[in-house]
Amino acid sequence: MKNHKAGGNIVLVLIMVYLLVPLLLTFTFSVFGNWTSMLPKNFTLRAYEDMLATPRFFPDLLRTIIISVVPVAITVLIMLLALYTVLIFFPRLEKFLQLLCMIPYAIQGVILSVSIVSLYTRVPGFLSNRIFLLVGAYCIVILPYIFQGIRNAMRSVNMPMLIEAAEMLGASKLEAFFKVIVPNIVPGISVSALLSISMLFGDWVVIRNIAGNAYENVSILLYMTMNIVSVRTATAMFTVVFLVTLLISILVFNLQSKTEGGTSREER
Amino acid sequence: MKRNGNPRWKYAITLLPFLILVLMFEVVPLLTILVNAFKPVDGHGFTLGNFAYLFSKRTYQQALLNSVVIALVSSAIGLLVAFFGAMAAASATSRMKKIFMAILDMTSNFSGVPLALAYIIMLGNVGVFVLFAKQVGFAPLASFNLYSTAGLIAAYIYFQIPLATMLLIPAFAGVRKEWKESAALMKARPWQFWAYVGIPILGPSIIGTFSVLIANSLAAYATAYALMINNYPLLAIKISGMFVGEITQQKELGSALSVILMLLMSAAILVNNRLLGRPGKES
Repeated sequence: MKNHKAGGNIVLVLIMVYLLVPLLLTFTFSVFGNWTSMLPKNFTLRAYEDMLATPRFFPDLLRTIIISVVPVAITVLIMLLALYTVLIFFPRLEKFLQLLCMIPYAIQGVILSVSIVSLYTRVPGFLSNRIFLLVGAYCIVILPYIFQGIRNAMRSVNMPMLIEAAEMLGASKLEAFFKVIVPNIVPGISVSALLSISMLFGDWVVIRNIAGNAYENVSILLYMTMNIVSVRTATAMFTVVFLVTLLISILVFNLQSKTEGGTSREER
Repeated sequence: MKRNGNPRWKYAITLLPFLILVLMFEVVPLLTILVNAFKPVDGHGFTLGNFAYLFSKRTYQQALLNSVVIALVSSAIGLLVAFFGAMAAASATSRMKKIFMAILDMTSNFSGVPLALAYIIMLGNVGVFVLFAKQVGFAPLASFNLYSTAGLIAAYIYFQIPLATMLLIPAFAGVRKEWKESAALMKARPWQFWAYVGIPILGPSIIGTFSVLIANSLAAYATAYALMINNYPLLAIKISGMFVGEITQQKELGSALSVILMLLMSAAILVNNRLLGRPGKES
């Protein structure tokens, strides 16, 4: 039995090493000037200086954060309203809602983005505004995750009972929703919201297909830098982008272990 | 829930934002793709000509083949690694499991352009590993071509492993220790337990995970594009090319190609449901 366990640990360590090597290697590459023999030589932060000298870097980072957060906020709000109404007043529609929310999961970014582009780009007015289309597309991309997150959170707090209690105390259904339900499910929602943000943060497919040159996020910048400017500068950007996503991951992880005891848990 | 005189329909208005969003950015665009796929180029009516054209062209045949081969191979290898990873995680100490999960979590978002960059640095023409292999004279790695089917598969496997492992870990939690103990009491060796009890129990989860991986790799194209630009026929790359950039947009052909990709992905999901004997995904 002991032996078996040791074998298991070796497997885990091997997988972890396999997963970490590309990250660590790319980071190492970014801080050395020369890596043509076995070990890297000439420690330097040139790549980072070059990155900071790229005038678009920080604006792009900010743009990426905005375009990752706004659609998530919109979708959470829309989904809260829709799920609340469906679960309380029209429980039979839940299956239908679920279907609509799961379709994006099956079609993924490529088809979604080209279908939106082909439909709206020739339409006059705000409908063909690339950034408007991008926000809409992002809302759809994250729909499955937000849906799951909110539904699980609503289920875990026994919503009908809470509402009944609030109503007995004189609140209307809408009041009960905002004052009782929402505060109770915030931890569960924030996990799926953060996951969605980190997913949008790294997007390249949808933004490239829909926004084209109209909106540049860090993935687009990274792509251009590695192809046009220099691979080394790109590795510095890579490191910064990775640290940002890591930060989000850590937040998610902490939130998850915090909520683990009481509210949401995805696996049943 | 229904109350006399209480117009619950009044609350239906809260569904409106959701319906507008879904109609505008999901339902109508997808329907347009479906309609366009069966429309003659620059004309009206119904035709299967777009599909006939696509299937007759060598580059699209090649794209279809490449997409399917890469999806199958990368999913199979990813699943195999994930199987052993999840199995090991199930019997690991909680501390070890926590670290393992954290790394899976961290790397599961690592795909697309950054992944391509990392692979160029490792396995590109002047990649660190390639140069190293040249120095020590390890031919298979020294001559490794990242810009090929094998190279793409290598990169795809990387993002399949964390996803597959995370999907399989809960399933392994369902394989109870008591069963293993009973099997051991009956003198079954560990591999016998897994062959006759473990894997059959895990079957649905394994197949489900496989189909998710297939769909995932069929639609993934950031990594491939960042590595190959346009020089490699892949379904997803061809689709984007027909709608975006380049001079002429080929809406009808692009739509037909999208329908083919959607069919492939739904096939993966349907096979899953069929084998699981229940409709829909787990809720």
